[in-house]
Amino acid sequence: MSGEDRPGLYVESTIIMTTVRVVAPFVLTFALFVMFHGANSPGGGFQGGVIAGSVIMMLAFAYGIDSTREWVDVRVVATLASGGVLLFAAIGLGTILLGGNFLEYHLYERFISHATAYGIELVELGIGGIVASVVIGLFFLLAAGYGHAVDTPEAEE
Amino acid sequence: MTPTEWAIVALALVGAFFGGVAAVGIVRLPDVYTRAHAASKSDTLGAVLTISAAALALQTDLSTIKAVFLLAFMFLTNPTAAHAIARAAQDQGIEPWTAGDEEGER
Repeated sequence: MSGEDRPGLYVESTIIMTTVRVVAPFVLTFALFVMFHGANSPGGGFQGGVIAGSVIMMLAFAYGIDSTREWVDVRVVATLASGGVLLFAAIGLGTILLGGNFLEYHLYERFISHATAYGIELVELGIGGIVASVVIGLFFLLAAGYGHAVDTPEAEE
Repeated sequence: MTPTEWAIVALALVGAFFGGVAAVGIVRLPDVYTRAHAASKSDTLGAVLTISAAALALQTDLSTIKAVFLLAFMFLTNPTAAHAIARAAQDQGIEPWTAGDEEGER
């Protein structure tokens, strides 16, 4: 009943914490699996990114939103989102610099073999980073909105 | 039909039955705790039985291993999610429905 006395104060549950601790590595592995399988089977950066972002939500459910917010710096989330965009743009524009079209992966063949496969996977990783960090950011914003609605009148009084 | 096919059909039918029980429970039961109870128990069993039917039907495929993984994580996460929901409801101060409340909270 601590929720009624102090909104925002969260008491951890051993069951949820243990399950999250066991499941989280598998979920992250599965997220990478889905991301890397986007090229030739169902999956891809978007789905994998959402799965990776859901790990942070699970941690927030288990350990409370405040400690998760302390642990995951917002700057890291923002860096991940913009880094994904930069990775995508760099790979896409790099082929233009080499004299081809946007995302014409096989032009990288002169540097590495299987360039198309690596190019697709890197772009998928970039998309995954964007989607995961945007999902995490939206989740933090949603969680903060309720807290601010509760906290602001008390702060003014 | 071979015994394996009979087992697949039986598992899928029983799984679908438990899924239906969970759906009826969520619609008919009065409050969040009883609904979480219906959803976690019957739904987990229904999903697990249906997935094991799929795992049997796929035979010695790589997909069977994936189905077994799915099954194990279903058993682990589904009850935990129900526990988290019931715990959050209790934290919010929602009173459990008792036999005295004839109306219930629909």
